[in-house]
Amino acid sequence: MKMQVVSLCLLGTMLFLCSVHARSLKRCPPSMDMNPVKESFQEIKGAIQANDTFKNVTILSNLHSIKPVDVCCMTRELLEFYMKRVFKHREELSLQISREVSSISNSFLPLQRTVQPCKKQSLCPCSEEAISATRTIINNYDQLEVRSAAIKSLGELDVFIAWIDKNYHSETSTA
Amino acid sequence: MLPRLLVPLAVLLSLRLGSDAQGTELPSPPSVWFEAEFFHHILHWTPILNQSQSTYYEVELLGYGIEPWKAIPTCNQTLAQSCDLTAVTLDLYHNNGYRAKVRAVDGSRHSNWTTSSTRFSVDEVTLTVGSVKLEIRDDSIFGTIEPPRPPMAPAGDMYERIFKNFREYEITVHKMPENYTFTNKKVKHENFSLPTSGELGEFCVRVKPSISSRTNKGVWSKEVCITITRQYFTPTILSTCITFAFLLCVVLACLILQLYMRRRGKLPSVLVFKKPSPLSLISQLACPEVPDTIHHLDEETVLKVSPELRNSELHGSTDSGFGSAKPSLQAEEPQFFLPEPHPQAGGTTGQGEPPALENSCSGGSSNSTDSGICLQEPSLIPGTRPGWELQVGSNGQDQDDSGIGLVQNSAGQPGGPQGSSALGEVSPLRPELPGEEDPAAVAFQGYLKQTRCTEEKTAKAGCLEVESSSTDGLSPKFQMCLDTEAGWPPPDLAKGYMRQDPPGMTVLPSGAPAGQWNQPAEEWPVLGLTSCSDLGIPDWSFAPDLAPLDCVAAPHSLLSSFDTDLVALPLISSLHTDE
Repeated sequence: MKMQVVSLCLLGTMLFLCSVHARSLKRCPPSMDMNPVKESFQEIKGAIQANDTFKNVTILSNLHSIKPVDVCCMTRELLEFYMKRVFKHREELSLQISREVSSISNSFLPLQRTVQPCKKQSLCPCSEEAISATRTIINNYDQLEVRSAAIKSLGELDVFIAWIDKNYHSETSTA
Repeated sequence: MLPRLLVPLAVLLSLRLGSDAQGTELPSPPSVWFEAEFFHHILHWTPILNQSQSTYYEVELLGYGIEPWKAIPTCNQTLAQSCDLTAVTLDLYHNNGYRAKVRAVDGSRHSNWTTSSTRFSVDEVTLTVGSVKLEIRDDSIFGTIEPPRPPMAPAGDMYERIFKNFREYEITVHKMPENYTFTNKKVKHENFSLPTSGELGEFCVRVKPSISSRTNKGVWSKEVCITITRQYFTPTILSTCITFAFLLCVVLACLILQLYMRRRGKLPSVLVFKKPSPLSLISQLACPEVPDTIHHLDEETVLKVSPELRNSELHGSTDSGFGSAKPSLQAEEPQFFLPEPHPQAGGTTGQGEPPALENSCSGGSSNSTDSGICLQEPSLIPGTRPGWELQVGSNGQDQDDSGIGLVQNSAGQPGGPQGSSALGEVSPLRPELPGEEDPAAVAFQGYLKQTRCTEEKTAKAGCLEVESSSTDGLSPKFQMCLDTEAGWPPPDLAKGYMRQDPPGMTVLPSGAPAGQWNQPAEEWPVLGLTSCSDLGIPDWSFAPDLAPLDCVAAPHSLLSSFDTDLVALPLISSLHTDE
């Protein structure tokens, strides 16, 4: 009798752990440390956003419509977009802004390393909707002049940070 | 040709510029920014230089990424430098932010737009605290932080919902009046506790909120102060005092109850028998006496008789053995109360004959009823005055209901002629009471109070035969038999009350052996007979001559008196009248 009870307990514990693991596996990567990005961005937010001439245009316009399933794909794509398309235009900006942008770029590297295993494990699939959303963002960026687009994209880092917090840090349910 | 065209062109250009200058004369506001708290979004701008009284500012708002710009007409107020845009920016906490622009307008002139430097987003909201409540709990300050509750906030947009986690509060406590920082700590909940370590005084608390996952700035709340004073009446102390008071009341109640019970158990004064005092004894001596007759007795007779007299219980008998006073015969006023005349006895027995002996018990003040049993042993000391005397029908005041009163013979010697006559008078007393007896005498109720030892003795003298026949055992019998022989030991008389026998039975010739007298005493142990022997010689210390006189009455005289009862009656009556 006692052995049966013990075995049942063990089975229940294993099931529970599996569910938790599955839940954690559902979200890949499990978390994203955006604090360094936040601190650096706070320094240049005013300057960057002040230089944004096209205020009625937004590049990251469709992030609110991204489904939770596509969060991992979008995260991976956006990180790559900023690293390849936006951060390389920092020399055209002022020195202060350039320095902070470099710091932000350095903070993006560990974030990419966090997401990479998910892709390898095929835990970060990209649906058609995710692919379509990514294509829209790139089109918005391309419609603007390079420098303005870069400035606008840097200025919208706070949007990106808020979206990350919302999806990865559910405790901090921010806007 | 060209120079001719230049002049009109210049004029046109100057006119154009002038018009433009007129439309854009006004400088644009230098800066535009948002100052926002939780659902309290205020757009500020700096005024333009050289603004007139009619200058007002136009505001337009743009949701980031949402076209077009939206004019806010409520902000078009003269000389205003700020505008509340909360109502049009309610989605601030759910979208990417807003952009606002302002321009000055004065009449037909207006300035350029000035756009807010940064995109107005949730990051620019300054965190505040609604209120702080403090209370003292067990030597510590317990605080509750209330988040802001702005009226413009939609129903579901509460501070705790928007900033669900990582809410932190920095708390600073200043102690007044020294105004030094008592403590500074950070808490992660809206409730906090600050131990004061027993310090007293005024403590002022300020709180600054923050979100650890955000870069939002926070502002210090208003200072809230609380004073800690020494509490003398804490709940603990109060409860302890109440408990002690309750226990004290219980103890007092028990003590009072105990005292009350003891008081109730106190013996009633009626049942308290007074010990005979010398004074009472002396008063007994002053009782009226018949002329003394000196009876000479042998010493042996006295000794023999003395115990009998003591046991005679002429005064009072306590058949139950309680409270028998045994004063000396001398002390008592020897009064033998004859019992109420038995119908057979002819009413001779102690009708209220106040027994002299009884006075010692009652102190001459009693109209005591039969319930007052008082034993007063007659002083049997021979030769001393007064001797036991029979008081027939006298001293109603002293009489017992059924006791035979024997007046102490002044002569003191029962052996003498007078004593014998007195004793002889006793003999017929029982069977026949003189008619002259005190009308106040208690009627015979069937029991004679054996009060006098002499009474007993006189009875015994002639009752040797009666005793043998009347020994019923339990019923106490008074024996008025006269003692004939001095040699016989005084019989033990029953204490208390004796049933009165018919007169004939009482008159008996003497001559019975002395030992017979002892029988009644032996047979009536329950009655607690006090025989004359109880009246020991020590009791007759001051009246040694009296005791034997009564007990050892001249048997011959008594017997003769018994034989001549008729003769004795007038004698008794005469005695009574004389008295």
